[in-house]
Amino acid sequence: MITTTTPPAADPQSRLRPRRYGIAFAIAALVVLALIGSSILNYVYLDTIPGRASLYGLLAVALITLGTFILVRAFNRDRAMRRKHLIRAGVLIGLGVLLWLLVIDVFLFTQSAGPGVAAICALACLPTTAFGLFVVRRMDRNHKEPWRLVLVAAAWGAIVATSLVVWGETIWEGSAQHALVPGPGLDTSLAFMAGILEEIAKGLAVLLLFLVMRNEFDDVVDGIVYGAAVGLGFNFLESISYMTNLYSVFAPEGAGGLAAGIQWYGRQVLGLFFGHATYTAFIGAGVGIARQLPSVRQKVLAIVAGFVIAISGHFSWDAWATIFPIQNTLFGLVEIHLRTLIMTGPFTAGVIALLLFGIRYEGQNLLDQMRKEAATGHGAILSQEVPILASPWQRLKQRLQAFSRAGLRGYLQVSRLQTAQLDLAMERWHRERKEIDTPLEAEQQLRERVMQLRHWVAA
Amino acid sequence: MSSITDDQLRTLYRTLLVFATVGVVILAIGLVEFAYFERPGQSSGARVHIAGVYQFDPESKQPVGPDRSQFPRTEEFAAVVDWSSLPSTLVVDARWYDSFGSIQGQVGPATPRELATHSVIPVEVPQGLHYVLPGRYTFVVERLQDGVPVEVLGRRFVVVERS
Repeated sequence: MITTTTPPAADPQSRLRPRRYGIAFAIAALVVLALIGSSILNYVYLDTIPGRASLYGLLAVALITLGTFILVRAFNRDRAMRRKHLIRAGVLIGLGVLLWLLVIDVFLFTQSAGPGVAAICALACLPTTAFGLFVVRRMDRNHKEPWRLVLVAAAWGAIVATSLVVWGETIWEGSAQHALVPGPGLDTSLAFMAGILEEIAKGLAVLLLFLVMRNEFDDVVDGIVYGAAVGLGFNFLESISYMTNLYSVFAPEGAGGLAAGIQWYGRQVLGLFFGHATYTAFIGAGVGIARQLPSVRQKVLAIVAGFVIAISGHFSWDAWATIFPIQNTLFGLVEIHLRTLIMTGPFTAGVIALLLFGIRYEGQNLLDQMRKEAATGHGAILSQEVPILASPWQRLKQRLQAFSRAGLRGYLQVSRLQTAQLDLAMERWHRERKEIDTPLEAEQQLRERVMQLRHWVAA
Repeated sequence: MSSITDDQLRTLYRTLLVFATVGVVILAIGLVEFAYFERPGQSSGARVHIAGVYQFDPESKQPVGPDRSQFPRTEEFAAVVDWSSLPSTLVVDARWYDSFGSIQGQVGPATPRELATHSVIPVEVPQGLHYVLPGRYTFVVERLQDGVPVEVLGRRFVVVERS
C-alpha cells in the first residue's frame, strides 16, 4: 500500500488509491462473472438465437473490456510504452468490435430483419449518437474530457451494459408474466425491472471510470458528461434492437420501414437527450459530487442518490408514459412530443441545473487557481492571460486569431497551450483540496509542459 | 479549502439529495400502485380449466385441429375455456394480450354462467392489419373485484412466429 511518495503527495496520508483500485477490481470481476453466467444461462435456457449471440458474443465483450482497459491506462505511461499499449489496445478493440458485429448480425438481427436492415438501422443511429456525444462533451466548457474516455463510456453503454441486463431482465420478466395479473401491476413491475437493472448496468461504467481514471474525473461536470455518454451508447444499441425488431414485425404488413423510422425518431431524435442520457447523467452527477466530498458517508450517499434519481426517472417513464393517450390523428404527433417533455423534461431540467451550477462552480475555482498560479511568477500562466483562460468565448477568440495568423497549425498549438494551462489550474485545485494522490512533481511537469508549448506558440 | 467552495459543493450535494428525495417519492408511488393492482391475500382457490388453444376458423367461428402453443402469423387462433369449472358467484373475464401488452380479444366481465356461451375466445387481428402480430401472446382468465382484475385463475402462453 502506498503511504509515502517522493516528492510528497498532496495528501500523503491518503490510502484511497490502493483501496479504490481494489474496489474497481472487485466490481470488474463481478461484471465478468455476471456476463459469463448470463451467457451460459442464456444459451441453455433462452431462445437459441439470442442465446447463441450471447455466448459467442462473450469473447467480443472480453476483448473490448481488455482493450479499453489497456487503452485508458496507456496514456498514463511514457511515450515509448504508450505507443506499444495503444497498438495492443487498438488490435484488441478492433477484433472485439468486428466479432461483436458479426455475432449480432448473423445470429440476432439477421434472424429477424436481415443483415441489410440491421446495417441500415445502425448507420441511421450513428450520426445522431455521434452528434449527442459531441454535444455532451462540449458541455464541459472549462475542461473537456478526452475523446478516448468519452468513447469508452459510450462503448460500455452500448456493449457491456446491454449484455449485463439480458439475463436479469429475462428472469424478472418471465417470473412476472407467470405470477402477476396482466395490466398496470405487471407494467409497474416491468418498469421497476428496467429502471433498476439498466441503470445499475450503466452506472457501473461511471463508477469504474471514477475508481480507475480519477485524474480525468474532476467533478460533477465530468460525471454528467461520462454518465450521458454511457446513456447515449446504451440508447444506440437499444435503438437498433427496437428498430430491427419492429421492422420484422411490421414488414409483412408493408409498414416495416415506417415502424423502424418511428422508433428511430422517438429514440434518436426526440429521446436522444431526454431518455437514457438524462438518467445516467444523474448517476454521473452523484459520482462527480462524491469525488469532491470529504467524508466517506457523504460520498456513498451522493452516489446512492444519483442511482435513485436515475432509477426513478427511468421507472416513471416506463410505468406512466401510457397514461398520456396518444390519439391516432395528426394531433397525436404533438402529443408524442408533449408526453416526452412532460414525463422526462423535469429530469432533464434537473440535470441541466446541476450541470450549469457545476460549470459555474468549476469555473470560479479554476479562475481562483489561475490567479494564484499567475501570482507565483513561474510564468506558466501570466496575469493578462487569466481573463482569457477563464472565458470559453475569449479562448475561442484567441484560437481564431491564431488561426488567422498561422492557420490550423497555429489554432491547434494555442488550443494545446490553453488545455495545458487549464490542466495545471485543475491540478492545483485538486491539490489544494487534497483530492489527489499524485506527487507535487506532477504539477511541476504540467508547468514545464505549458512553458514548452508557450515556446512553440511564440516560435 | 475556501468557505465559498464549501458552500458551492454543499449546495450541489443538497440539491442532489432533494432530487433523490423526489426520486424516492416516485418509487414509493410506484410501489403503492403495484400493491393496488397486485392486492395481497386475493387467492380465491378457484382454478379455471382452459381446454386448450386451437387454430380458429373465422367462417364457422369454431376451433380447428389439436391444442397448440405455436402458430404461424397467417393463422388465427382461439382459447377454449370450460366456464363450468368456476364457481358461479365470481365475476370474471378472459383476455388475450399481445407481446406489446395490448388487449387483442376479450370476453366479460360477467359471471361464469353468463359466459357459458362464450367458451371460444379468439385473438383479434389488429385494425388495419392483415394478420396477427408475431410475438408472445398471453391468455388469462381473471377474477375481478370492483372492476379491477385481482387474480389470475388460469393462464396460457402462445408464440406467433415471424414468418
